[in-house]
Amino acid sequence: MSCRQWLSSAVRQCQSSLAQHQQPRAFSTTPVVAVRDIFSDGPSKPVMRPKGLRSSSDSNPNEALHGLLTAGMERGGPLSMEEQRRVMEQHGTQAHIKDMRQNLTTESYVRQMPRRWRTGEVYSPRDMKPAEMSKWRQGRPPNKDMVDILGFSPLDNYRNFSLISEFMTPMGRIRHSTDTGLRPVNQRKIAKAVRRAIGMGLHPSVHRHPEILRLRRHGMPTAAIPTPADPSQNRL
Amino acid sequence: MATRSVSPGGALLRASRMFAMPEPIPPPPLEGAAGSYFNSNTATIAFPTHQAITTLSSSRKLGDWGLKRPLPLKSTTKSSNPMLRIKAIDTIEQITDYSSATDHGITLRKFQELGIPVTARRPAGGDRPESTTQMNLPQMSVFEDALDATDIHPDKRAELVDSRWKFTGPWLAGMTQGEFNKWLSKEVRPKRPAFRQFLKKKIASELHAAAAKDALDKGQEQPSIIDPSSVTEDQLVDYLRKLRHNNQALYDMVGQFLDLAPLMPPNLAQTGLPKEKVSELQFNEVKTPYAERGPPITHPSAGLSYLRTSMYMENHPIYGPQKHHAPVVGRIVRPRRQAQALAARIGVAGFIVNTAMGDTRFNARIGGNAAFDKIDPAIEGGAKVWVQPQRAAVDSVGCMVLSVNEPTQEATLVAQELLGNAVCLGAEPAEDEMSRRETASDLRRRYRAPDSPTMSSAQDYGLRE
Repeated sequence: MSCRQWLSSAVRQCQSSLAQHQQPRAFSTTPVVAVRDIFSDGPSKPVMRPKGLRSSSDSNPNEALHGLLTAGMERGGPLSMEEQRRVMEQHGTQAHIKDMRQNLTTESYVRQMPRRWRTGEVYSPRDMKPAEMSKWRQGRPPNKDMVDILGFSPLDNYRNFSLISEFMTPMGRIRHSTDTGLRPVNQRKIAKAVRRAIGMGLHPSVHRHPEILRLRRHGMPTAAIPTPADPSQNRL
Repeated sequence: MATRSVSPGGALLRASRMFAMPEPIPPPPLEGAAGSYFNSNTATIAFPTHQAITTLSSSRKLGDWGLKRPLPLKSTTKSSNPMLRIKAIDTIEQITDYSSATDHGITLRKFQELGIPVTARRPAGGDRPESTTQMNLPQMSVFEDALDATDIHPDKRAELVDSRWKFTGPWLAGMTQGEFNKWLSKEVRPKRPAFRQFLKKKIASELHAAAAKDALDKGQEQPSIIDPSSVTEDQLVDYLRKLRHNNQALYDMVGQFLDLAPLMPPNLAQTGLPKEKVSELQFNEVKTPYAERGPPITHPSAGLSYLRTSMYMENHPIYGPQKHHAPVVGRIVRPRRQAQALAARIGVAGFIVNTAMGDTRFNARIGGNAAFDKIDPAIEGGAKVWVQPQRAAVDSVGCMVLSVNEPTQEATLVAQELLGNAVCLGAEPAEDEMSRRETASDLRRRYRAPDSPTMSSAQDYGLRE
C-alpha cells in the first residue's frame, strides 16, 4: 500500500516536472531543481544507482526519479530498497521546500506587523489592522529633551564623539531641532559642542567618526553615557 | 456631620452625567521600546484614562446616553457591547466628542473571566534581597492588610512605610539625573528651614524620651515635654554631624521628611564607592514589595480584580474537583524571530503576557513548535495556544503584567471538551444544535407542509396526482 502511495506521488511530481522541461535549467522554476541549484555549493556526491538507469539522470534529479520509476514500471515489480530510499529523499526535499515556503510566508506577514509588543500592553482587534500597524513602521523624533532628562552639560562633552555624532547627519551637518527634539537652549549648546569638536579637529566634518565606523563594522554598541555634572554640585 | 442641603436644581445637576463624569487620568507615557521612538498615538493604551459609559438598549435606540444631546444612531447602535468614552460633553463646535470604549471594557471582562487575583511580589528576607527578582516566590494579594494601608494617620506615616503604596515624594531610583537635579533645586532646596525644624522636633522628642527613661530608672517624677524651639543651634549641628556618619538614619530622616518611596539598598557596584567605605554602610531590611520596581501609580490592583486568592478548586460536573484551574486560549500575537532574538508574543485576555522561563514549550527551539515560529494564514482567526494563567501584578507604570505557564495535558483536554472540541474518556462529542449542518433533505422536511386538509397544495387543485 505504501509503495503505491510513493509511486502515485512520485508520478505526479514527475508529470509536473515534465511539463516544465522545456525551460532552461538555470532558470528552472521546478522547486526541486531550484532548491538544488541554491544549495549545491560543492561538487555533487557520486550517487549509488542501480544498473539500468539512464546516464543523464545525474544532471536532473527529477529526470532521475522519472527514469527510476519507468524502470520500476518496466520491471513491473515493487520498488527495491534502494529505489525506495531515493524516493524518500525526494520527499525530504519536498518537506524542505514546504518549510521554506512557510518561512517566506511568515517573513512577508511579519513585515506587515512591525510592532514589537511589550509585556503588559493591551491590544484590541483594531491594533492588528494595517492602518494601525503601519504607524509603527516609521520612527519619530523624540518629543522629550534628552539633555534635560540626562542632566549633562553638552559643552563639557565635546570630546564624546559618540554623543557628537548622534547630533550630526552622516554628511556632517548639525541635525535640526525637529530631529533632535531639544529645546532651543539645549539645541544651541549641542550645536556649539559639535562646532567645537569639528573646529578642534576632534571630529570629522564630512562623515562619522572613524572609531564609530569601526564599532559599527564589528557590530558593537556605539553609545556612550555622557558625563553628568559634578556630583559636588548636587550637595544639599 | 450634617450633609449640606442642595437646591433642587443643584441636586438635578449633581445627578446628571455632566457632573458625574470624572476627570480623565493622565495616560501612560507614550514611548516604544527603550532607545527607539516607534510608537502610535492611536494605539490602544495600556490602561483606560476615561470612564466608560453605557446605556439601556431602549434608550440607545433613541440615542439617549444621558448626555447633553442625543448621539448619532449610525455609529452607536451597531455594537453588541455598547460602551462609550466621552472625551468632551460639549465642545466649541457644539458636538459631543465620543469614541468606543469596548477595547478596554471587553479587556476587563475577559480578565475577570480568568479568575485570578492581582498580587504583589513578596520580598524575600533581608539577607537575600536578590531573590525578590524571582517570580516563583509565593505571592500576596494586594488587598492584604500588610500591603494595603490607605487610611493612615499623618503621625503614623513613617511607621507604615512598608504597608503603603502611595507616597507624596518620588521614587528616587526611577528618576533620571536631569529630573533629580530639577527636583533638588525646585522641591528640596526651599525646604531646608523646614527640615531643620523637623530635626529639632526629632531632637526634642529624643531628649524627652531619654530624660523620661532616666527618670523612670531613678523613680523620679516624669519630666515635662521639651519644646522644639528650646533646642539650640549647637545641638542641631551636633545632631547633623552624627547623622552624616549614619547613612540609614540620615535616609530615614530625609525619607520621612520628604515622604520618599522606599528604595532597595544598593549593591557594591551601584554605590560607586571604594570597598572599605561600602562596608561602613548599614542598610535596614526592606519589607515593601515596591522598593525594587517603584510604587504603583494607582491602587496596586488597578481595579481589575477584587479576588484575594486563587487557592480554590474548580469543579467539573462529571470529573469532579480539578487539580488545576481551567487553562485558557492565548493568541500568538507575533511569532518568534530567532534572527532578532525576539521571543514569541502571546496575548491572553487582551494583554501581552509574560511567558514562563525555562524548559517550556514557549522556549523550545525544536519539535512541534511551528505555531510559535511561523504564521499560517490558513488558520482562521490566527494561531492560538492553550496557556495556564499563573499570576497578575500591576507594574509601576500601571500596566498589567500577566504571567502564564504551560498547562497540563489533562487540564487542556478537559477545557477543550467543555468547548466541544475534544473527547475525554471515550464520550461522544455533544452535537451542537447551532453548528450542526442541515442537509437539503432536513430543510425540506422542516418546511414541508403538514399533511393537513386545511393547507392548499397543488394536489388539492388537481394539478398533480
